[in-house]
Amino acid sequence: MFLVSMCEGNPVNMKVIQSRSTTTSGRPLAAAVLLLLALVPTLNAHAWSIGIAAASRRVFLHVGNGTANANNGTINQVSVTLTGAQMLAGTPQAMTSNSTQSASLLDGFNTCPTPASQVIIGASYRRSNGGDGPASATLRVTSPTNLVSAAGDTIPFSQISWTVSAPGSGVPNVIPAGTFSGAAQTLTTIPANTYIENCHSFIYANSAVRAAGTYTGQVTYTLTSP
Amino acid sequence: MNTVRLLSVCVLGLLLGSAALANPQRLDDSGSHTVPPNVQMQWRPLPPSGGAEPGMEAWVRVNLRIDTRQWVGRSGRIYMVLPRDQASSIEAVWTTQGRLLPGRLVSGDRTLVHTGTIHTATLEDQLLVRLRSGADWQGNSRRLNFHFELDAD
Repeated sequence: MFLVSMCEGNPVNMKVIQSRSTTTSGRPLAAAVLLLLALVPTLNAHAWSIGIAAASRRVFLHVGNGTANANNGTINQVSVTLTGAQMLAGTPQAMTSNSTQSASLLDGFNTCPTPASQVIIGASYRRSNGGDGPASATLRVTSPTNLVSAAGDTIPFSQISWTVSAPGSGVPNVIPAGTFSGAAQTLTTIPANTYIENCHSFIYANSAVRAAGTYTGQVTYTLTSP
Repeated sequence: MNTVRLLSVCVLGLLLGSAALANPQRLDDSGSHTVPPNVQMQWRPLPPSGGAEPGMEAWVRVNLRIDTRQWVGRSGRIYMVLPRDQASSIEAVWTTQGRLLPGRLVSGDRTLVHTGTIHTATLEDQLLVRLRSGADWQGNSRRLNFHFELDAD
């Protein structure tokens, strides 16, 4: 017998199965099964596909003047100049900044309205999945032991502290206030896929009389996701 | 013809008949290709503080060639399908050169790209597809397997 099946428009692989009347009793069923298998629509392939890789794990940090999604080599300066009377009075002195960055690099919000006395610090950490790095990144600042003058006189870096603010934010202290320790110190952790920022205003403690001179030192902020 | 053989033929005929009419019909678009063949997602800008993570996106061009020769003269609706590959959904939004319909598709769903009579043996178009997803993948890479299916009238 010839079994020829016409299947209208069905995109399948058609086959003609021949069986003879002299076949054993099992062969017609086997032939039918073979034909059925041949008629099953081809479900594999025949499709466009694309391999996609997740975005790379990413940390972003800006301190003072910065550029969104780009490197910016600016190192801002905070300073204070004391008169003899101020030094003798021993009262803490607010420091000024040469930063001009008032707007958030995230959304342009005026986060630090008076950059002359504030340094904006913002940081984000992003990962595409739970296996793509730790659940949070760590924001640290490292300061040297002392500020040093040209004459070699020193002021402990611990004489400088900072307060924080973020007008309009519900978490103005998302990076907390503190005092430099003269070493590496952790400021906060940043959960994956979040962005934080606030403004830091620096204060010189002025707790001792120092030799005249200009004392300098540099602190470094780092954001790490090991 | 003995009884067993006759029964087999009848059953077979019924099965063939139902297979011929069953919707949807998977279409062959093995002539399609993407440019580039693989793509890396990029982070979308973060929203203002406290907003939800916007996730990642990528763009890809798809040169489509769907084999419709067995359906010429028939009418129906052709859908693009994106089977769900993991819990993290993918959103595809595309524009076309006009042969197919633009649209939006989310993992596990299908979207209409053509309706009416099929006049030609192939349907060709170029899609510009934007892929977006959350930052909740199961791993660092995945493969999206789109396909097309026809609901014939």
